[in-house]
Amino acid sequence: MAGLELLSEQGFRLDGRRAGELRQLRARMGVFAQADGSAYLEQGNTKALAVVYGPHELRGSRGKAPHAQALVNCQYSMATFSTAERKRRPHGDRASAEMSLHLKQTFEAALLTRLFPRSQIDIYVQILQADGGNYCAAVNAATLALLDAGIPMRDYVCACSAGFLEDTALADLNYVEEAAGGPQLALALLPQAQHIALLELNARLHQDHLPRVLDAATQACRHLHALLDRVVREHLRDAAALLGK
Amino acid sequence: MAAVEMRLPVARKRLAQGLPRGAGEGDRDLVAPGDTITTDPGYMRGHGTYMDNEKLVASVAGVVERVNKLVCVKALKTRYNGEVGDIVVGRITEVQQKRWKVETNSRLDSVLLLSSMNLPGGELRRRSAEDELAMRDYLQEGDLISAEVQAVFSDGAVSLHTRSLKYGKLGQGVLVQVSPSLVKRQKTHFHDLPCGASVILGNNGFTWIYPTPEQKDEEAGGFITNLEPVPLPDREVISRLRNCILALVAQKLMLYDTSILYCYEASLPHQIKDLLKPEVMEEIVLQTRQRLLELEG
Amino acid sequence: MLTSRTFLKRTRAGAVRKIVREHYLRDDIGCGLGGCALCGGESRPALEARPGGAASSLCPGPHFLLPDTNLLLHQIDILEDPVITNVIILQTVLQEVRNRSAPVYKRIKDVINKQEKHFYSFTNEHHKDTYIEQEKGENSNDRNDRAIRVAVKWYSEHLQKLQMEEKVQIILLTNDRKNKEKAVEEGITAYTCEEYIKSLIANPELVDRLASLNDEGNEIETGRIIFAEHLPLSKLQQGIKSNLYLQGTFRANRENYLEATVWIHGDGEEKEIIIQGLRNLNRAVHEDIVAVELLPKAAWAAPSSVVLHDDENQNEDDVEQEEEKEKSLRTSSSNSMLRPTGRVVGIIKRNWRPFCGMLSKSQIKEARRHLFTPADRRIPRIRIETRQASTLEGQRIIVAIDGWPRNSRYPNGHFVKNLGAAGDKETETEVLLLEHDVPHQPFSQSVLSFLPKMPWSITDQDMKCREDLRHLCVCSVDPPGCTDIDDALHCRVLENGNLEVGVHIADVSHFIRPGNALDQESAKRGTTVYLCEKRIDMVPELLSSNLCSLRSNVDRLAFSCIWEMNHSAEILKTRFTKSVINSKASLTYAEAQMKIDSPSMNDDITTSLRGLNKLARILKKCRIDNGALTLSSPEVRFHMDSETHDPIDLQTKELKETNSMVEEFMLLANISVAQKIYDEFSEHALLRKHPAPPPSNYDILVKAAKSKGLEIKTDSAKALADSLDSAEFPSFPYLNTLLRILATRCMMQAVYFCSGMDNDFHHYGLASPIYTHFTSPIRRYADIIVHRLLAVAIGADCTYPDLTDKHKLADLCRNLNYRHKMAQYAQRASVAFHTQLFFKSKGVVNEEAYILFVRKNAIVVLIPKYGLEGTVFFEEKDKPKPTLLYNDEVPSLTVESTTFYTFDRVTVNIMLDASNVQHQKIRMALVEPKLVGTSVPSQATQLNSNNEPKKKKLKE
Repeated sequence: MAGLELLSEQGFRLDGRRAGELRQLRARMGVFAQADGSAYLEQGNTKALAVVYGPHELRGSRGKAPHAQALVNCQYSMATFSTAERKRRPHGDRASAEMSLHLKQTFEAALLTRLFPRSQIDIYVQILQADGGNYCAAVNAATLALLDAGIPMRDYVCACSAGFLEDTALADLNYVEEAAGGPQLALALLPQAQHIALLELNARLHQDHLPRVLDAATQACRHLHALLDRVVREHLRDAAALLGK
Repeated sequence: MAAVEMRLPVARKRLAQGLPRGAGEGDRDLVAPGDTITTDPGYMRGHGTYMDNEKLVASVAGVVERVNKLVCVKALKTRYNGEVGDIVVGRITEVQQKRWKVETNSRLDSVLLLSSMNLPGGELRRRSAEDELAMRDYLQEGDLISAEVQAVFSDGAVSLHTRSLKYGKLGQGVLVQVSPSLVKRQKTHFHDLPCGASVILGNNGFTWIYPTPEQKDEEAGGFITNLEPVPLPDREVISRLRNCILALVAQKLMLYDTSILYCYEASLPHQIKDLLKPEVMEEIVLQTRQRLLELEG
Repeated sequence: MLTSRTFLKRTRAGAVRKIVREHYLRDDIGCGLGGCALCGGESRPALEARPGGAASSLCPGPHFLLPDTNLLLHQIDILEDPVITNVIILQTVLQEVRNRSAPVYKRIKDVINKQEKHFYSFTNEHHKDTYIEQEKGENSNDRNDRAIRVAVKWYSEHLQKLQMEEKVQIILLTNDRKNKEKAVEEGITAYTCEEYIKSLIANPELVDRLASLNDEGNEIETGRIIFAEHLPLSKLQQGIKSNLYLQGTFRANRENYLEATVWIHGDGEEKEIIIQGLRNLNRAVHEDIVAVELLPKAAWAAPSSVVLHDDENQNEDDVEQEEEKEKSLRTSSSNSMLRPTGRVVGIIKRNWRPFCGMLSKSQIKEARRHLFTPADRRIPRIRIETRQASTLEGQRIIVAIDGWPRNSRYPNGHFVKNLGAAGDKETETEVLLLEHDVPHQPFSQSVLSFLPKMPWSITDQDMKCREDLRHLCVCSVDPPGCTDIDDALHCRVLENGNLEVGVHIADVSHFIRPGNALDQESAKRGTTVYLCEKRIDMVPELLSSNLCSLRSNVDRLAFSCIWEMNHSAEILKTRFTKSVINSKASLTYAEAQMKIDSPSMNDDITTSLRGLNKLARILKKCRIDNGALTLSSPEVRFHMDSETHDPIDLQTKELKETNSMVEEFMLLANISVAQKIYDEFSEHALLRKHPAPPPSNYDILVKAAKSKGLEIKTDSAKALADSLDSAEFPSFPYLNTLLRILATRCMMQAVYFCSGMDNDFHHYGLASPIYTHFTSPIRRYADIIVHRLLAVAIGADCTYPDLTDKHKLADLCRNLNYRHKMAQYAQRASVAFHTQLFFKSKGVVNEEAYILFVRKNAIVVLIPKYGLEGTVFFEEKDKPKPTLLYNDEVPSLTVESTTFYTFDRVTVNIMLDASNVQHQKIRMALVEPKLVGTSVPSQATQLNSNNEPKKKKLKE
């Protein structure tokens, strides 16, 4: 039997989206009282929870800490129930460690770490349900959590994946599309300045196609930015109204 | 069979619903990171902003505040930014050579120098080497203190002092951590509430609730903790106050003596444990809010 | 845009899992109607606002059709007819079709893409108003049927809302009775396909193309069940898992319709299982994927060597007679020959395609059911229903199989297309092209649109990255009448005394840019197919015979490979460049040979040719010393009558020294290019390899040589080449050629492959460690790819994504290998057909022949004069069987008292056996040495014309 048809002739994907459309995004900021900042975010069925502590005094060994700026400490993890198959994920899982590193790189590029010498910013992200674009959901959730914590950053960090299939660039891949094995690009963008915080490509893609895929991802990040901004402003407005400011 | 209380999940209520809100009026002042505040080079860059190609750009999500030529963005929720004269409550995290490190919800741990502390008994003298050795006898890791900000360093770290009998080690009581932005600045942050307990509303968001001491003078500035059991009614009052403060925080109402007191009074019809239920919280805070408005009005 | 979503739960085999997927419902999916005010302007409306369609007596007004899944699967032929337009295909239907039949899916997709058909595929599963959820207790088929009905309803309401002046109807076409009833209940106009087609006023002929589906009614009619029921797929899969059944490809026996083999492949071991008898074959058709059950050892049979064809005149459904025949199969087997035997228990996947063949009209007058006999003997006869039997008689037609009920001796099918009269040259060519899957339609407009505009000239833009080599004395040498000249050569003496040799190849990749329709079409065709009187071009004629053809005295773009050599033909320097050349002469092999040979000629071209010839000789010697094989295969050429294009004479191709001169340099260029592109692209170079044959392949050659007292060594290519060279038999000069022909038969097929997917690059025949095809881009697509790779390697052109994708390249290689093989078969079939035409006009002749192979009941002979190969049988139906004694060791065959060995010289009588219109063939009979009973007298006499056809078609 033929494999899945990821993009129909009529231009619809398996879940009914068109090539450039994002999944439904829902987000909430300030979900935990005890953390400095926290956020919960759903991108389709991918659900992520991000918590931020800091900036605070450096904990642990000071040897590796940068001198003149804050240390960004990221930890990415996946809940045991996040995938179709229940799987215990002990700490130090290779994929998670790599993802943590990616998050760290992403946010070091966006945070104004120079304002906080000798301190540390902790970002913890957990994926509650994985349905593709885990990295992106993690970045977006962490961005909201950082905003909630009031930690200065250059811009939002919006991340979105994009794939390439038979001459068409698909934005925001879900699990089925990811599992199909085509090339996939993850882009973390500072949308207003159009700076790229992180760009990762997981398979070979011809150079000629790259601009198109990158373009699709950029466009998707822009849309995401608009959506996240709406969430943030709503949150701000509520909070400001309550505080009577 | 004992009745078990069950809570079913319901849609989250929008907190600000029902509150009067000028349509889009405040929007102009709300910014998010990356938003350009002004391109006018005449403004000065304040907190929560950065310069990017001659443009003044926000770096946090919050409200724009302009003071003359200075533009800052104030985030709604941040860590504590120390200012000289603030009253803080903090916890000792480390004992060092001549100072203590104090966690005050600031971005860096605060410092309490041995020299900026009144010695037990109120002795005023140069600190000797013996004093340094006895530091842990005065305050050790985990102890809570109340103090005043003496100075703020360039990197934002805070130096504290307890050179008044008001300040010092805290004994029996309950600590509630809230966002510093919810603590209203007032003349005094030590309140003996008429309901039978006292609170210290630290500017750093640490709030200390404790039984009102009987004789003020003796206790003050002391480092000896009164370990006598607190009577049950006092404990109940303290618990109720704690829950009231949590309710106020949950509904984002500013904390000060009046608001706490009104909330306490509004909560009296309810059991203490019920105060943690969202609907009760909402109800009592609403009452509080109304009374406060009447008071102002 | 995103309105809502629901969740789908799925479970998979093994552990039960709950899988949640999003399903977005949209409100922006248009109805596809031209100028629909409600859906907003569709950029390219598929449906006509006022549907034309064929006039139907059932629904006289304008209407749209909406077929359900089964209808689409079975009646695709009808839907493809130009009469049927304005059809809505639902996504539900399309997806079901996709899961159930890939070929139908492809066809319906093609139809949807044809604008003039006005087919629209409506994405109903994602439309907010037409999506439905599976209800409890409802199976997915019922759910889909309901989804279809909901969509029909939505459409009719939608059309009403539009308030067009003329009411447009939506008609649901379904053959499912229950579905139809439900639809009518819900107020939907629904017809069965038959009802609708029969109601078409102007097009009664469409009825013939209706697929005949056995309704329940039919079964009662002829109640006798012949075949065992096929097991359902789930049971088969279980059985295969538990090793109860075996899965394999069903291969019908060409010679014996009651026997087939199932080729089991997978899990490393490959084996064949024999299936004998009609019941055991159980309705499997050639190429189907089937499940077989092994029979107990006692019931095992040996592959029969008997030739058995389904009788033309046999009474339909006469099964007893079949059983008799089956028994006759059994008796002839000896114990040692027994092979695993099985029976088909179920069909995993049908691989039916439309078949070419002819109608065998039923004897009963006015009958509407007839049998159809496919051209391919491996396909069973097919029963079709038609009212045009008398017009179709004697015509080549195409028929598709619809099904094979248990009670029917033959599968049921329906008529698809009429190709023309049998025996007609055009028709036969069409048939052989169709049967060999050679794409031969004229190039479509979209393909032609990518051709350069005429008049064409070389622009400055073209001259960038190109060397101007117009001053060189380049000439081409080709067979006479060649119009697609893709190579030219030059040779000159450099100042340092060395020689510069250039091979210039037409720069086709300059004109065919990657990815466009022209490129895709060429890639699909893969190769130009040369038939006897016709050429099926790979690229449009403008390119193949004009712009890319390196004709003399015009400027042409070329891709040049230039070597600097010393006089002993050692390569000192190699370089590649895109260039512009101007050929000074287009010569034939004979002309070139003449120039070289005549001492009086001393012009530039001649000296150049002489230089080339000299080098070529050295190169050839080197190559042969390295162990390259010189093989031989008889090639024939027809002399065509210029008026009728009928062959008037037949001769084997003659080879001149210049042939080998050109060949040497082409080989050299190919090897040089192969090395270059492999160095540059180790992972995705397109190369050609020729694997060494397994030693057992040579058995026949070694034995045959032994019988003549010669020894052939086969340990290496070199040893083989040497022993072939030394195998001279003074009294029998043709023997060497025969040995070489035989050696050719032992070889493996050379194939294209992608360097990243394989690690054995060796080309056995040429004794080269690496090889590719570079020199004929006009007629081979592989060369175009190689050109592109080389162009990138030297920086003359830019790369593109698919070029560096080794999986895509491997797919391409697979297609090219397939096309090349098919082109070869088509070519041979064409030669065979023309040979028949030739002998038809020639009548009966006697010719001298040599025995190539000795078989158990026949000898295969080669007639050097015509390069013709045929089989002489010693058994005939109506005559007493001669005693045959076959010796496998020598091999030899003793008939009565005469013994035949390989390479024996015999005389045979050749004539055309036209007793079977569909399978005309060359018949050969032995004239000398005379045999009692079997040899025909040397003067040909009339042969029994109703002979059972036994001769093998001229094939192999």
